[in-house]
Amino acid sequence: MLELLLFAVPAGLVILGALIVIFAKNPVHNSMGLVLTLASLAIIYITLNATFVAMVQMLVYAGAVMTLFLFVIMMIGVDKPEQTREEIKGQTLLVSGTLFILIGLVSFVIINSGFKWDLYFPAVEYSLEGTPDLIAASLFTEWVLPFEIISILLIVATAAAIALAYDTKVRKPK
Amino acid sequence: MDNLLLVIIFLPLLTAIGIKIISNLVNELLLNYLTINSALLSFATACGMFGLLLADKFKPIHLELFTWIPSPEILFEFTLDGLSGIMMLLVTGLSVIIQIFSTSYMSKDSNYSKYFIYFNVFVFSMLLLVMSGNFLVMFFGWELVGLSSYLLISFWSKKQSAAKAGNKAFILNRIGDFGFLVGLMLTLNTFGTFNYEEVFSEVLNGNRESLSIIVICFIIGAFGKSAQFPLFSWLPDAMEGPTPASALIHAATMVTAGVFMLVRISPILQFSETGKLIIITAGLLTALIAAFSAINQDDIKKVLAYSTISQLGFMFIAIGSGAYVAAIFHLVTHAFFKALLFLGAGAVIHEMHHEQNIHKMGNLKTKMPITAAMMGIGTLAISGIPPLAGFWSKDEILASTFANGGFYYGYWALSLLAAFMTAFYMGRHWLLIFHKETGNDISQVHEAPKAMVRPLIVLGIFSLFIGFINTPFFHGLEKVLEETLHYVEITHLPEGITLIILALVSIGAGFTGLLLAYLIYIVDILSYFKIKIPLKEEIKELSSNTLYLNKFGEIIFVKGMKSFSRKTAVVVDGLLIDGLVNKISSLFYNSSQKFSRSQNGFVRSYVVYFGFFMLLLIGLFIATPWLLN
Amino acid sequence: MIEVSTDWYLTLAAILFSIGFIGMMIRRNALIMFMCIELMLNSVNLTFITASKHFGTIEGQISVFFVLVVAAAEVVVGLAIIVSIFKKQSSASVDLLRTSRG
Repeated sequence: MLELLLFAVPAGLVILGALIVIFAKNPVHNSMGLVLTLASLAIIYITLNATFVAMVQMLVYAGAVMTLFLFVIMMIGVDKPEQTREEIKGQTLLVSGTLFILIGLVSFVIINSGFKWDLYFPAVEYSLEGTPDLIAASLFTEWVLPFEIISILLIVATAAAIALAYDTKVRKPK
Repeated sequence: MDNLLLVIIFLPLLTAIGIKIISNLVNELLLNYLTINSALLSFATACGMFGLLLADKFKPIHLELFTWIPSPEILFEFTLDGLSGIMMLLVTGLSVIIQIFSTSYMSKDSNYSKYFIYFNVFVFSMLLLVMSGNFLVMFFGWELVGLSSYLLISFWSKKQSAAKAGNKAFILNRIGDFGFLVGLMLTLNTFGTFNYEEVFSEVLNGNRESLSIIVICFIIGAFGKSAQFPLFSWLPDAMEGPTPASALIHAATMVTAGVFMLVRISPILQFSETGKLIIITAGLLTALIAAFSAINQDDIKKVLAYSTISQLGFMFIAIGSGAYVAAIFHLVTHAFFKALLFLGAGAVIHEMHHEQNIHKMGNLKTKMPITAAMMGIGTLAISGIPPLAGFWSKDEILASTFANGGFYYGYWALSLLAAFMTAFYMGRHWLLIFHKETGNDISQVHEAPKAMVRPLIVLGIFSLFIGFINTPFFHGLEKVLEETLHYVEITHLPEGITLIILALVSIGAGFTGLLLAYLIYIVDILSYFKIKIPLKEEIKELSSNTLYLNKFGEIIFVKGMKSFSRKTAVVVDGLLIDGLVNKISSLFYNSSQKFSRSQNGFVRSYVVYFGFFMLLLIGLFIATPWLLN
Repeated sequence: MIEVSTDWYLTLAAILFSIGFIGMMIRRNALIMFMCIELMLNSVNLTFITASKHFGTIEGQISVFFVLVVAAAEVVVGLAIIVSIFKKQSSASVDLLRTSRG
């Protein structure tokens, strides 16, 4: 029962947060919904034995990335209401069509499987705790090359961000 | 030792390159030194190789330079047998003599070095052609001689007529080359190889599918290069080139490439009756038309040009009647006496200050006795007066034609007529230039310089005696060619009394021709006896216009082609091709205009498209196993 | 007693992804579209973690790291782009950006 509770409550919060993200009018509310989703996901990660990932999720996503979002929201302002009238011709139709297909597909899959999802590979009996030392042991031995490459990606992204946001007009002498 | 072949072939090319490099640094004398010494070296090596060949009983020498094309394997190879040996000696030897003549004839020309570059390139190409070991190498040389011939014809390219003549020669040669090329493709397709011996042994072993069409293709090639009917009109125009070059290219060597090639493929040719019939008929027509045209030409060189065409016709008659040895024999003797005649004409033109009209000459024998004597020898030789060179070879051709029997008697009679006409126009030629008292002012004319006269004398001696290499009593040339023509059925001369009668008849034709020329042009028998030749003016017109074949060709081909190509330009190019291209481009333009509307620039639209088609794909993925069951 | 099996987590991930995608389609504020992208990335992360649990391997969690880093880089660059867009047209609406129109 506890197990079910530990899944159902965070899962409901995840979906709630996600819905806030896409339907709220105020960007601050949107971002708060995202925080709710991310934090709830962290809980789910813990139930999935990925404790270290859950910590990183809280730190990096809910901490750093959300701060960045809020910072940008502050910068560009929240007082401008978003236009609600659809301007793109046929967009509504296409969106509804896509949603229809999505729902149709899901229904088909559910009905076709008879509410019984048998995964091809059965779940393992033991459980693996995603502790920092276990992750580090794998990350810094087997995955060290992608790790280094991804660090280059981060540096490039940082440089790109500076180049994009840098206002050249400021440096111009009068 | 075999590598010496490379020296013979590539020395002229190296000389040409050398001249190009040093031409700005040295004067004419040093340049002469270089080119003539290298020609002499080439000739000496050729003599050595020929001696080697002789000692080895003319067993062919093969030299494989490198693999040209790996699959099917085609080598860049050379062959030296009796046939190519003779041609090699002829080309290198005449190259020496004519270059010596040229040093005097071309001196003070502004493009002196260019002339010798082209000349050496020609010699190289010709040697490549004659010493080739397979058809492709031969074609390589074949095209190169065409090119160098073009360059030398339009040597004085500032003259429009020279440039046009070069173009004409090149274009008419292309027609022949096209035939040759098709023949090559068919050969490769049928036999899978280009090597002479492999092809010949295939044919001799009975692989004779599509032989006739191959042979006819090669015959077309030979017609183009050797100026046979109907592709001969370029040769008279080719006289725009420098006279010594004409002597080598358009009399002695290049134009005989067709004859050489047909003799080379004689093991194939002997099985194609159609091919032989085409050759002998075209040869006869050529000999008659050219001889008829030569009668009323005024240009000293054009007479010789038509005479060359006519003599080439004789060689083709020989090939067509299966007398390959006679063809090569006539090729050799003709090379000498025609080179002599051309060089003599060159000497006359040089002394007459580039006056080429024979009616403006006359009685030059008093001023230029040696030239006159040598030209006289040449004239007698070509007319077939014994014991000069032309008699032996021409008589052999006529006798071989006669020996075939049947309807070949007709060919024999007409060939005899052509021989008679040859004697007539050559007699007229010599008499008008050197003998007839015309009252033209020739006081400024002197004997040609020594550098011109000495080559004439050498050639004169050869024209006197070269005929003895293959007489009915001594079959020298036949032995030389025996190995080459080992599997070829050769028409042999008739024996005994028939041969003597035939010889007497042909001597008679020669003498009659010369005599008639003397009577008509010197004694002026026609006005003395008041003989009226019916339609005299019309015949004259016909003769000087080569039966209007040129004009005919112009109307049919040039004009027809022009209007056809204009129509093609409008209909095919303008409407069809342009229309198609424009249609396609406008189709793409319009459709892209339509499609570009979907690129409306809204990111959200793209997201929707993306999602839409992604879902479709996923749906397909899910549905596939369900659909298949 | 209902057991929480792997399917449940995967279903949750699918729902999260769908919500994120619907948001992408209906919202025109660039900032919120970015948040939707984050939602979708997180759903993928959830899938990875679930698979890691299911198969008892650590590689799923390693992949989450890489996704995390790529997401961070993408947010950095994306937010910089939003800022520069906002400087240009003083609005974050992507509908005003139609330079890629055909």
